[in-house]
Amino acid sequence: MVEAVALAKSYGPRRVLDDVTFSVNEGEVAGLLGPNGAGKTTTLSILATLRAPDCGSVRIAGFDSRVNPGAIRRKLGFVPQAIALYPSLTPFENLDLFARIQGLGGRQARDACRQALEDVGLAERANDAVSVLSGGMQRRLNLACAMVHHPTVLLLDEPTVGVDPQSREKILQTIRGLAATGVAAVYSTHYMEEVERLCDRVLLIDQGRLVASGTVAELIALAGQHHRMDITFQRTPPPSWCEGIAEVSKPTVAAAGNRVTLHFASLAQVSELLERARLAGGHVLEFSVHSANLSDAFMALTGHALRDPDAGPLSVAS
Amino acid sequence: MLRTIILIFRNEFRRLVRDRAALFMLFLAPVVIIAVAGFSLGNLYGARPNARVYLVPIVDLDHGTIATAITDGLAHEHSIEIVRATDLEEARRVVFRSERAPLAIVIPAGTTKAFESGRIASVLVCADPIKRVEATAIELRLNRLSRRIAAAARDRAQADLFHKMAELRSQLDSLEAQARKIQLRLADFRRDFIRESSAIQARSERRIKRQIRREIGALEAQTQAAVERSLAMTQAKLAGDLAAKRDAIAAVERYLHQLQSSEQAFDRWLERLKAAAGSHAAEIPAPPQWPAPPSREQLAELAKPLELSIAKPVMPRAGTLGDVTVPILRLKLPAPARLSFDVRDLKDARAPVLPGDIGWREKALTPGSGEVNTFDQYVPGFGITFLLIDMLWGLSIALIDERDWGTLERLRVNGAPVPGMLIGKLTARFLIGLIQMVVLFAFGWMLFGISLGQSAPMLLLPAAAISFAAAAFGLVVACVARTRDSVLPIGSVAAMAMSAIGGCWWPLDFEPAWMRSLAQWMPTTWTMQAFNDLMIRGLSASSAIWPAAVTFALGLAFAVAGILGSSQFYE
Repeated sequence: MVEAVALAKSYGPRRVLDDVTFSVNEGEVAGLLGPNGAGKTTTLSILATLRAPDCGSVRIAGFDSRVNPGAIRRKLGFVPQAIALYPSLTPFENLDLFARIQGLGGRQARDACRQALEDVGLAERANDAVSVLSGGMQRRLNLACAMVHHPTVLLLDEPTVGVDPQSREKILQTIRGLAATGVAAVYSTHYMEEVERLCDRVLLIDQGRLVASGTVAELIALAGQHHRMDITFQRTPPPSWCEGIAEVSKPTVAAAGNRVTLHFASLAQVSELLERARLAGGHVLEFSVHSANLSDAFMALTGHALRDPDAGPLSVAS
Repeated sequence: MLRTIILIFRNEFRRLVRDRAALFMLFLAPVVIIAVAGFSLGNLYGARPNARVYLVPIVDLDHGTIATAITDGLAHEHSIEIVRATDLEEARRVVFRSERAPLAIVIPAGTTKAFESGRIASVLVCADPIKRVEATAIELRLNRLSRRIAAAARDRAQADLFHKMAELRSQLDSLEAQARKIQLRLADFRRDFIRESSAIQARSERRIKRQIRREIGALEAQTQAAVERSLAMTQAKLAGDLAAKRDAIAAVERYLHQLQSSEQAFDRWLERLKAAAGSHAAEIPAPPQWPAPPSREQLAELAKPLELSIAKPVMPRAGTLGDVTVPILRLKLPAPARLSFDVRDLKDARAPVLPGDIGWREKALTPGSGEVNTFDQYVPGFGITFLLIDMLWGLSIALIDERDWGTLERLRVNGAPVPGMLIGKLTARFLIGLIQMVVLFAFGWMLFGISLGQSAPMLLLPAAAISFAAAAFGLVVACVARTRDSVLPIGSVAAMAMSAIGGCWWPLDFEPAWMRSLAQWMPTTWTMQAFNDLMIRGLSASSAIWPAAVTFALGLAFAVAGILGSSQFYE
């Protein structure tokens, strides 16, 4: 349904996409995962025919984006990162506008709007001004506007940014439901857990390059089976404090100096590591243990974190 | 604390340096507005009008020296170019057609005559009410020129007067000298006259006396002869009369004798009668008495001899003396002194007349009273200003908002082409702007009594044109400013500059020439011209067609530039 071949794009001297190739099948949800500035939004813009690639090609529903962008647009539903709605209009009026722009008319448009509002759980707020809706409701309406005309391909650019868990759940359910009807979706996000829950396939992108693609399990496997432990000391022990323990990596010290990260093979080694730290004179303030996930896979593939180290753990729920 | 102060202080400057909109509003915007206002209103405070050459049509109905002096005087002004017009209608056409022509001058017939006869010669100044300041500038020049012409004429008259007075004084001096000479001659004459007349009198007396003596002698002789003749005649007459008288007396004596006899006979008859009457004798009336005859003494008088009397002699008439001619001697008078000039020259000389003054009265070139309701300027003017500013909100900011919200992007993905979206917005804002102008004009009419011209519906034409141009202007600002924060600084300064330069805030003729040339490229200028023509000048509806067309054309250029620019920017 979606084929991107050797996409490349530069903004001036800066290369934002380089040889990106992937495809998304009918009924499949592909997660485009990468840190900020990785090229996710540019990729979606090219797919949505908003920008032309410097080279490479895009085919959606059998149409080449260079040759017939109009035909592609009629098949597309696009959820931009921003809440692309008219705040002074009601949800129904917003939906009606976008439905009619897509060619739906009269009763067909009205029915489609009511259905879309039902799908995202906003039927009761259909006649309130968008500006008085909560952020989560606005995000849901943002999604509804993209699907009001029943597209065959859905492009979603971080559609859950800043929403409450309830709205996020509704959005993810709605996308899943659309995929079940055969819609191909490209879901851009840097929320790892959303990808793990929603996507059939993951496209890891970093610095404009597609570094890996596959199912969640395939990508985690690429990161190996080691666990990771982060320890925050009040008083840091000497660097050699964990030497001699089998299958434990050399600890890396964070810039702050009192936080170290190390990898180890078995959860059973946790107590030993803490004891060794205590004996070495380290006063542990806090520690956390992480099993391998997409973030680790990303780290393993790119050598740097999916999110900034200071941004905290990716998700408390993981 | 101090560190905080320093850091915040430094940070404020760092933010300011990176905020172009703030820098624009801080420095460039005030400079632009100050420059526009300063240059526009400079004329009010006496600045030179930038060597602008005004076109002044002159209708010369006088064809006299004053008309020539005014025409030549204005022609010599560096900033004035004269155009001769045959009548006021032609002059009006020039004023309305050329933005350099603020007024026309009509020099009525008889102006020179009135001026030369000491009256106020009135020149008619027909001003275009929407070029008030320029008209005033020309009127000041005309006033100065009038004073100069009048002063020059007065100087000439004064010099002429001095010359004539000097001439008169010289003539009077000459007269005075001659009068003195005449007085001397008169004194001589009197003396001669007295002497001569005395001599004549003496000679005449002598001659008269001689003549009288001769005449008296002649008269005495004549009288003597007359007396003698009279005496002779009297004697002859007396002799005749005396003989007749004697005959008469004799006849009377005879009659008396006969009468006495008859009386006696009658008495006897009466006696006999009485006797015959018998008893009736008593009834016989007494007979009438006989008149008594003259007495003897009387009759004896008649017989007395007549005394002789002498007839009065015929004396010579005294008038004969009057016929005597006495020759009178003529006086030999000296000839009067001759005056060296003809006194009639003085009488005929015209009294010098000082020239009058040259005044002027103003008349509007437009129909009606010529008084302008200031709201006729300000309602459309500020209406346009707010129309432009509202377009910044309604179109420029709205467009940038839509870009920031992502709705534009979403619309594009949904298949809406950017030019289509822009044209849709432009059309909607054009209609909203037109409604805004209609409402403003309605309020202006109800609250301030603005003029709606000869045809109120015709005001829709420039209103529609400027609404379109303003919407297109909003589009241009949207693609120039590119951010929400920049729209108001850039857009409002541009809107205010266009309003000010285009004559929305004050009449265009306040502005210097270069600014007016610049104004020709602004739709505000042409729209205001249309509104001024319709509302202030009261011209026909057709006068608004051309300026509205130019406004629309400029708006179209804005629209094309805005759509092309925005299409590139928003795609």
